[in-house]
Amino acid sequence: MSDELRIGFVGNPNCGKTTLFNAYTGAKLKVANWPGVTVERKEGAARYHNHIYKLIDTPGIYSLTSYSIEEKVTRKFILEEGVDVIINIVDASSLERNLYLTLQLIELGKPVIMALNMMDIVEERGMEIDLHRLPEMLGIPVIPVSARKKSGLDILMHAASHHVKEHHKEYVVVYNDEIEEKINTISLRIKEKFKDMENVRWHAIKFLEYDEEVMKKYPMDLSDIIDRSYETDIINQKYDFIEEIIDEVLVNKATKEEKTDKIDKILTNRFLGIPIFLGIMAFVFYLTFTVGDFLKGGFDIALGLISDTVSNGLSMINASQFVTSLIIDGIIAGVGGILSFLPNIFILFLALAILEDSGYMSRVAYVMDGIMGKIGLSGKAFIPMLLGFGCSVPAIMASRTLENERDRRKTILITPFMSCSAKLPIYVLFSQMFFGAHAMMAAYSMYLIGLIMAIMVAFIMSKIGEKKENISLLIELPEYKAPNARSIGIYVWEKVKDYLIKAGTTIFIASIAVWFILNIGMTGLVDNMGDSFGAMIGKLLVPILKPAGLGLWQIGVALISGFAAKEVVVSSISVLYGINNVTSISGMNSLLELLANDGFTALNAYALMIFSLLYTPCLAAVATMKKELKSAKWTAFGIVFPLVVAWLITTLIYQIGGFILWQK
Amino acid sequence: MTLLKGTVGNTYTVKEIDLEQITKRRLEALGLTDGTKVTILNKKENGSIIFKVRGTRLAIGRQIADSIALKEEL
Repeated sequence: MSDELRIGFVGNPNCGKTTLFNAYTGAKLKVANWPGVTVERKEGAARYHNHIYKLIDTPGIYSLTSYSIEEKVTRKFILEEGVDVIINIVDASSLERNLYLTLQLIELGKPVIMALNMMDIVEERGMEIDLHRLPEMLGIPVIPVSARKKSGLDILMHAASHHVKEHHKEYVVVYNDEIEEKINTISLRIKEKFKDMENVRWHAIKFLEYDEEVMKKYPMDLSDIIDRSYETDIINQKYDFIEEIIDEVLVNKATKEEKTDKIDKILTNRFLGIPIFLGIMAFVFYLTFTVGDFLKGGFDIALGLISDTVSNGLSMINASQFVTSLIIDGIIAGVGGILSFLPNIFILFLALAILEDSGYMSRVAYVMDGIMGKIGLSGKAFIPMLLGFGCSVPAIMASRTLENERDRRKTILITPFMSCSAKLPIYVLFSQMFFGAHAMMAAYSMYLIGLIMAIMVAFIMSKIGEKKENISLLIELPEYKAPNARSIGIYVWEKVKDYLIKAGTTIFIASIAVWFILNIGMTGLVDNMGDSFGAMIGKLLVPILKPAGLGLWQIGVALISGFAAKEVVVSSISVLYGINNVTSISGMNSLLELLANDGFTALNAYALMIFSLLYTPCLAAVATMKKELKSAKWTAFGIVFPLVVAWLITTLIYQIGGFILWQK
Repeated sequence: MTLLKGTVGNTYTVKEIDLEQITKRRLEALGLTDGTKVTILNKKENGSIIFKVRGTRLAIGRQIADSIALKEEL
């Protein structure tokens, strides 16, 4: 046997697989408290007693049938990719439901160990689990762990390494005589025909369940034995056995009303549910703007100092004007301007992390189910949309938790309308410059317009869409938990790191590129930006963007560069107008003056905000869309459609706004 | 009667689930099989329901709720 042991982490959604995986491997994968956070398999390594263990984290599944994407992925992984041991992570507070998957895993015939997580919740409810009787009845080792507190980890790994050799029995559930007899007959036939097959009993059971994948892979005529699908019988008998286990193992079943139910009475109340949700979101954005802006002040001062120091340093070493301009007007103006929005981004993601970790996300799906039903989607589709307030990339990936293809596609296409954090710098800057005391309302309205657009587009799609399919909601509501500092720390830090990396790569390169196209023209280096290649490109767009109130070539250039990442709209404008402290008061004043000279008013600023909100998502989001939609046609739609929508809506608002102002 | 017509706070026994295969299997994997006891926790006018089955809270939409037949109480 090789030294490297492959261990698969398998369990129900939201039972703590990823938390445990992070604890072992030191990885910083996102964890939160709603079913379906992990959508992709992740591998990592852990070292214990000079052994290297290869750990594989899988998306959560409720069953080993092959009805959903995650189930297919996880099942294929266990069956075909040489897993030595399965660690079945079980949420002890939902033992009864979790055991269903456990029984299926044991039946598979591979070595299984149960990691019993969340025992603290069980104790809190005054219940106890008999840790001697449970392994006895299941025939596998059961190790209590706490993924959050990192206890029991050594014992679990130890058990895993030993259990590989000693095989448990695959007869965990004994079915009734009729089924057992059939299993025996089928097993004999299988052994005859497929001599190398492992876990014959499991395959025999799968034949009885009419499992499509197994029947396709091992074509056999069993019609003389199997006259109908025995799936329901098998499920029922598994649950009968689970009931027996629960009766013997669970002591003091909870009778008092649980904390979660009390909280739910308020948060999912039929009248208060939606107002509470809207209130929470308004509060999140309020914090993002107020606390974020407060912290931003300090960043601006630091940035000014850096810019001055670099500028002085460059003149001291007699750097050429070309280099000085590239660094000060290109890099510092572009990247520096973006960095000063870090506090706003930090607050936004902190708030989203707390929401996700508390268990509230599933409730939002329930609360929004009525409204979403009217636009032909289930309430579950609102989870990706809500995540879209943070970043479209993970939001688009989260749409995998939706059951049917058409809903997924629709959700993927509307999610980018939700105002993501990258658009925040645009709102903060332009609303502060042009709307003074009403800045926050102007920025708020963007979130509302984005949400309304997403809903309207989905509504229209549902009207012209194909036949009606079942769109009914089905989601598990987890226990509420006090947000965990470590999970939230990981989540927020990863987002902040992404932002810093983005500033150092995409935005850095885009700023330099923008500086170059603005300083080079037909005649080589140009003194006047108006003669540059950038200006030539921008001027081509002027006639198209003019009806939308965006008829400045500079804006055209900024919007094109925004395809790289939406923040680049702001960094490009800094570079375009040569402002290297764009977020400070003095920087804003000089930019405001320059824009005003070009005839750019508050209405134009609002038009720019709306256009930035709605137009084609950034490259990273488009790439994710392509991957998830698996269709060039729909990806092209996802690129062109928002562009058309952005132009139409912006033009509409600009023209109507202009008319009203002109009337006055 | 179906789960849709149930009263908040009451416990019922599932008689039959009449849904297409995929959704039915999902519910069964979550522990909702014939003869299971369910307790309704919450209900909205659009028909979405929160209920508890085998210690797990589930939220379901109207269509699913209306397809879960319950045994009449004695």
